[in-house]
Amino acid sequence: MARRTIGQAERRFAALVLLPAALLLLVFRIVPLLWGFALSFTNANGLGSADWVGLANYQAVVADEAFQDALVNTVLVLSTLPVWIMLPMLLALLIHQGVPGGRIFRAVYFLPAVLSSVIVGSIFNVVLRFDGSLNAALKAVGLHPVDWLGNGWTALLSLVTVYLWSTFGMSVLIFMAGLSTINQEMLEAAKLDGARFWARLRFIVIPTLRPIIEFVAVVTTIGLLTGMFGLIYVLTAGGPGTATTLPEFLIWLEQGKLNRPGYAAAISAVLFVLMAGVAWAQVRIMSRNADL
Amino acid sequence: MGRIAGWLIGTALAAAPTLSMAQELTVWDWKSGDPAAANYFAAVKTAFEAAHPGVTVNFVMQPHDQYYTLLGTALGSSSGPDVMLLHGGSQATSRAEALRPLNDMAEGFAGVADFTAGDKTIALPLTIQGFVVYYNKALYEAAGLDPSKPPQTWDELKAVCDAFKAQGTVPCFAMGNKEGFGGDFFLSSLAADLFTPEEQAQMATGDLPWTSPHMRTIAETWVQTSQDGWYPEGANATAKFMDEYEMFMRGEAANTIGLLSDVAHWKQFEEFLGPENVGVYVHPAPGTSDLRLPVSGGIGYAVNASSANADLAADLVKTLSAPEQAAIFAVDTGALPASTAVDTSALSSPTLGTILGLMNGPTSPLAHAVMAPTVMEEWHRQSQLLVSGETTVDDALARMEEIRLQAKSN
Repeated sequence: MARRTIGQAERRFAALVLLPAALLLLVFRIVPLLWGFALSFTNANGLGSADWVGLANYQAVVADEAFQDALVNTVLVLSTLPVWIMLPMLLALLIHQGVPGGRIFRAVYFLPAVLSSVIVGSIFNVVLRFDGSLNAALKAVGLHPVDWLGNGWTALLSLVTVYLWSTFGMSVLIFMAGLSTINQEMLEAAKLDGARFWARLRFIVIPTLRPIIEFVAVVTTIGLLTGMFGLIYVLTAGGPGTATTLPEFLIWLEQGKLNRPGYAAAISAVLFVLMAGVAWAQVRIMSRNADL
Repeated sequence: MGRIAGWLIGTALAAAPTLSMAQELTVWDWKSGDPAAANYFAAVKTAFEAAHPGVTVNFVMQPHDQYYTLLGTALGSSSGPDVMLLHGGSQATSRAEALRPLNDMAEGFAGVADFTAGDKTIALPLTIQGFVVYYNKALYEAAGLDPSKPPQTWDELKAVCDAFKAQGTVPCFAMGNKEGFGGDFFLSSLAADLFTPEEQAQMATGDLPWTSPHMRTIAETWVQTSQDGWYPEGANATAKFMDEYEMFMRGEAANTIGLLSDVAHWKQFEEFLGPENVGVYVHPAPGTSDLRLPVSGGIGYAVNASSANADLAADLVKTLSAPEQAAIFAVDTGALPASTAVDTSALSSPTLGTILGLMNGPTSPLAHAVMAPTVMEEWHRQSQLLVSGETTVDDALARMEEIRLQAKSN
């Protein structure tokens, strides 16, 4: 009886402690989310009363070529995920192996991560514009200049590369933290047994780093889906055409510039469901691997 | 102690009516931080607050490129400003529902049509907006052209651009189409010459098909001029404001389609290139000898219908657009005033003289400004794809027509 009373008191205390966080979550996350879903079923234009239009916005989203293009662009961007994992991991490995100047490289790699996307965008606007420094370098060695940001074939690739440059330093640090947890004796033993670098990488380093790789994969995926707005805004404004339009940029465009918050809410809802699906799949994979 | 308490209570009671009468009007714009417009805003504040004791006017400058996003959010949440600056055309008329009618104040202004939705005048214009081609006379001379004779027909313009292409030093036109504005300006410049009055009326109501012959001429000419090398490479990655105009002001392009308002206009160009080096002409179009200046209401002030002080805010709009204040704005910024009562004699330059002469000739409304926002956004995209060669004129026009019909049905 005494234990039960203590349990109830503990539950009450736990509820009390959780209450502020739960309230904040409710007010600033759940309510806006539900409000956004409700908005997506209206023809709200942000000015007057909004009428219920049922699934009309969702039908329009499915038929919207700009949204379809944005989804294709998202898939293209996400297809670069292996590069986002392999490159920082290899660089972290090199620094961890003690290459000369490793500390300097670590700082240099991380430096762009502290710059805002607007600053990064402004820097690369100078580099990538047609009369920019990259094309000047190409011309200096006898190559043709490229309209990096103004051509649909190169604009998205340029954007992803700039985003990679500006954020991969964080992943390098995470991988270095992971590398420091590897049992050095095991690596030494493998070396003594004749295991070469790639064998040690494949059979010791990568299996040990698996949780880190998964973490970087999840964080990078979220970053790619939600963190590129600033760069798109500064470098390409979503163009040419829809070549660099990602769903979050389209939502901003529809909500503000085109004055269609109801429609923008429908795109947001679709994006929410897609992202929830991706996150669920990643969590499932991580959980399964954790059980192995 | 009792005397002090009594004094405090007395002071509080005396101040109470003043405090209760104190009112604040908030004005949103993208101009009030501009040093060139500082005298205008100070004059408005002084005049209005002197005429309305107890009322304070606060100007809040918002970033221009996010202005309508912020405004839409504020109006949607009923927390918008009392008064707001708007561009003429669809940016104003698409918000008509949220704006107080100002019909009783619209006498004596040019360009009111661009701030009218149905029979409701929703803003008082401060300036006139329009497009002309500014050219660099020194570059014309260097290319062997007569700087005193700017092109008056399409063939003459082609000859000018052929001369610059042959010379190979600077492109014929500076061009920025990163946000699609280059496509907008080109479309309005050619449409002014090409469209019949019936087509202009159809354009204003969203009824002009994009597959019509004149629309096709505009799209084909946009592509042809790009392919003929009239513009520098990289136009899709160049911002019109201000990369394109900085290029022209540095003397790195011979022509640019510029504005009549307070940026990218004669005054700014004269400051950089010298008044003797800046010329101006109306953009010709292929297949017609008509030259019409594309011109409409520029920017204007509107009143938030849900403002608690809507009538007072309407009074403020009257002051913001009054001839005395508009004259200060015109003289300091070089913008052409919408109020017909403004004395523009203090503005003097050879370029402006030419512009004022052009304004007395045939004019035509800005075609792009009356497009539905979704149609305009799609033209931004298609104009980029046409420049980069990623679509054809047929496909682009078909897509534009599809979007026009969608916008019309909504």
